[in-house]
Amino acid sequence: MGVKKRISGCVATANAVKLADVEVICSYPIRPYTGIMSELARMVADGELDAEFVYGEGEHGQLSVVYGASAAGARAFTGSSGVGVTYAMEVYSPISGERLPLQMAIADRTLDPPGDFGSEQTDALCCRDQGWIQGWASTPQEALDLTLLYYRIGEDPRVLLPQYACQDGYFVSHILGEVDIPDAAQVKEFLPPYKNHHVLDPRNPQIIGAQMEPSMGPGMQYQRYQAIEGSRKVIEEVHEEFGRIFGRKYAPWVEEYMTDDAEVVIFMQGGHAETCKTVVKRLRNLGEKVGLVRLRTFRPFPTQQVRDALGRFKAVGVVDNSVNFGISGAAGVLLTEARTALYGLGDKVPTVGFVAGLGGEMITHDEFYKMFAKLKEVAKAGKADKQSYWLPFEL
Amino acid sequence: MSVPVKEVPFAGTVPSPKTENEGMITGNWRTRRPVLDADKCTNCLICWISCPDSSVNQNADVVSFNLKYCKGCGICNEVCPVGAISLAPELDFED
Amino acid sequence: MTNLFEEPGLKQITVWARGVYENKEARDVVVAVTEAAALEGKFVQAWENYVDLPDRIYVPVRAYGKISDQEIESKYVYENETPDIVALTEETLVKGVDILAGIKPGAVLVINTKRPAEYLFKFIKKGTENLASIVTVDANSLAKSIITLSGAEGATDASGIGKGMGAALAAAIVKATGIVQFESLLKIVENKNAAKKAFEKAQVVDVKTLVNAG
Ligand code: SF4
Ligand code: SF4
Repeated sequence: MGVKKRISGCVATANAVKLADVEVICSYPIRPYTGIMSELARMVADGELDAEFVYGEGEHGQLSVVYGASAAGARAFTGSSGVGVTYAMEVYSPISGERLPLQMAIADRTLDPPGDFGSEQTDALCCRDQGWIQGWASTPQEALDLTLLYYRIGEDPRVLLPQYACQDGYFVSHILGEVDIPDAAQVKEFLPPYKNHHVLDPRNPQIIGAQMEPSMGPGMQYQRYQAIEGSRKVIEEVHEEFGRIFGRKYAPWVEEYMTDDAEVVIFMQGGHAETCKTVVKRLRNLGEKVGLVRLRTFRPFPTQQVRDALGRFKAVGVVDNSVNFGISGAAGVLLTEARTALYGLGDKVPTVGFVAGLGGEMITHDEFYKMFAKLKEVAKAGKADKQSYWLPFEL
Repeated sequence: MSVPVKEVPFAGTVPSPKTENEGMITGNWRTRRPVLDADKCTNCLICWISCPDSSVNQNADVVSFNLKYCKGCGICNEVCPVGAISLAPELDFED
Repeated sequence: MTNLFEEPGLKQITVWARGVYENKEARDVVVAVTEAAALEGKFVQAWENYVDLPDRIYVPVRAYGKISDQEIESKYVYENETPDIVALTEETLVKGVDILAGIKPGAVLVINTKRPAEYLFKFIKKGTENLASIVTVDANSLAKSIITLSGAEGATDASGIGKGMGAALAAAIVKATGIVQFESLLKIVENKNAAKKAFEKAQVVDVKTLVNAG
């Protein structure tokens, strides 16, 4: 049995890193993810965790350090937020291309401008196509669990890919929530010590990240494509195993909340889904047939599962907590992904995009209420008269 | 609460404050107020040059303090060579 | 629409403090009171304001707590918009800071001060209509303020919950409001002595008497 504590998402993640017995950590400060590193630094200083704690000289350096550590065979961890995440952009692709299963925590922060430090998923979503496993936690508990789940998935010899374990900054990363911290023996059973697949070792010299000819390019990319596609089966197996060992059963792809007999639903990811649940519950009390579908794994995107889940409703609202200026659908990437998943079902399921909670604003109960009201109109008319709405300005 | 679009400055560009920044009034950070003993003051202006918040006024014979912005950090009190500035609890003053 | 999302049993505590010097004490007050409530089976939440500038010395900063009989549904409403209890770790905050913004009718203000409530009341310019009582306690004479970055940015406070002056302030809150049992608070705070003395010494003054006098 583990212990129950009220802790922030940052501390929850740090606890998972400790339980995963991570060997190399590289930090560089930026709010709001900083709390993860202060906690880990304390654990190392207090002798609770035996790991190399390296101070990076910036995020590019941070990622380079864990890249090297992972290539040398260590279980490695790093993290960042906002512009820190984008500053390290160059290093993400080599890490996944060279199949090094390290982990990076991202506690979301807006890019500049607005230059505030509020949460917005744009930072992590900028990296969505880098060949990493990626998904969002909606509570501190899930932040802890995601760290363990992702190491196990990424290190599986059938996958060997790095992972972004994401959580909304401030909302999930800073507000304390009740967390069941599992005990070390359980975690050992779930996540055995890291056994590297290919490693820098002077006894068996090899070059990791060697220069390749263009003719090797297609094959290299195809390997990575196969890895991420192949990870789907592993993701399902690992979630199954996680539920068996820890007793917390997560649907690997989408969590459905009050969707039985629902007519309209909101589809979204991250912590704001918790606020949406309240709205769904209260509207259900009034007899409204509304529900929520929360995406748990964003990369690989569960096209079939999303199609199966969302295909049953009369209208779907997709909430994007990120910006993609000029994107088709004029909202965010979640809307385009959801529409792609639903493509081919004809006009059966009208979709509407809602861009909300930008710059770190909370998505309020009233805003979700308005979204559901709009969705009811769309369901009745069988079509939407506008592709997307930016809140609070357009709804 | 989100600020209406029309009230958000275009491209995040705001006019630079020339003398005062109404968007950052720091007088309420102060727990201790600098008080001048004019008899001791030699008007050397070391306090004026040292104040990190440009809250020492030097446009009279003796210095005075801009209490709208003075944070009460006490640096002026520290640097005054003749001990002309003391710090008093802010709540001793009704204004 | 607003009624639809009301949470009738929810109590909000807002603690104002001075940046850097008292970040920990403010956080300790809300953590101690909410953890005590959790011992009594309540649903609770505690956190620090994220957009105040906590790394600026003396800047007014806030820490928040929520306590409810039911599961807290407004958990990502990140500021207490309608506090039931407001506490100040430092007396000067009565001056020039809108400390009573949004308070509910019957709200209580708790101040760490040597001065009498009558004197401090004069400085409060806004929001006193809904204020029921002012509680004063000289918490600084009972325990020191602990200045530390431990526990900042959502990390664990390794310096001990309620080890400093916050324990005394929390005790004054409990005395004035009965929001939790004093025994529950004592189980949480490290500086039990300061808490006990503050519980004994805190002065509760009815605001009506101040209004009449003023
Ligand atoms: S106390 Fe600090 S801010 Fe105020 S006048 Fe003196 S130096 Fe300037
Ligand atoms: S430093 Fe002292 S003596 Fe010099 S101008 Fe300021 S108050 Fe006067």
